[in-house]
Amino acid sequence: MTRSPRQSRLTVMEQSELNTNIESDDPAVGLRAVGALRRLAEQVEAASVRRARERAWSWEQIGDALGVSRQSVHAKYGK
Amino acid sequence: MVLRSSAEEARRRGDRRLGTDHLLLALLYDSDSVTARALGVSLESARAASDALDRAALSAVGVKIVSLGMPEPTPAARRLPPLTSGARAVLKRAIEEARPDKTGRIEVRHFLLALLSRERPDAAAELVHAMGIDPGDVRSRLIKSAE
Repeated sequence: MTRSPRQSRLTVMEQSELNTNIESDDPAVGLRAVGALRRLAEQVEAASVRRARERAWSWEQIGDALGVSRQSVHAKYGK
Repeated sequence: MVLRSSAEEARRRGDRRLGTDHLLLALLYDSDSVTARALGVSLESARAASDALDRAALSAVGVKIVSLGMPEPTPAARRLPPLTSGARAVLKRAIEEARPDKTGRIEVRHFLLALLSRERPDAAAELVHAMGIDPGDVRSRLIKSAE
């Protein structure tokens, strides 16, 4: 695999600032943000699982690290 | 075909369900298609617009993504992800759009006509809006190309 892994850097603002911003009136924005966070999590997960496999982690170890079963990680990422 | 590309798009973005935005992006896969020409945007620019919506929403709740690289190549889909209710409605509508045609076959333009009927906050409608596309213009270009 020659492709460079996805690099995402997150900056989370101060809690107080976050709450103020969330109070912005449009629910579509907050809901979209939740979806975007989920997508980001999926992408970070895919990259990390691949790296773990390259470093010979077992499916069980990866599952434990993600808090899911070995079977579910394997079903999702196994060849 | 549209569904397969949509599923690919959903997987690429890390979405668990196949939504109307994925259907819209799938209609741009072939830049020579009647749907891509009617929409008048490239797949890349539509994906970028979708990412921009994500970034804007995240920054509104206090999360800033500094850099976004290429998405991780993900394993090929084994089966179609579940459809959002919006995507199911679009499929139904596409079938209705195809009915008056002689062949009754569901073509890509029927999918696009169905998608154009969606209203915000539908995901596809939001994307169309974000790209500054007038659904009426797309509709007329589509009808013209079918004549």
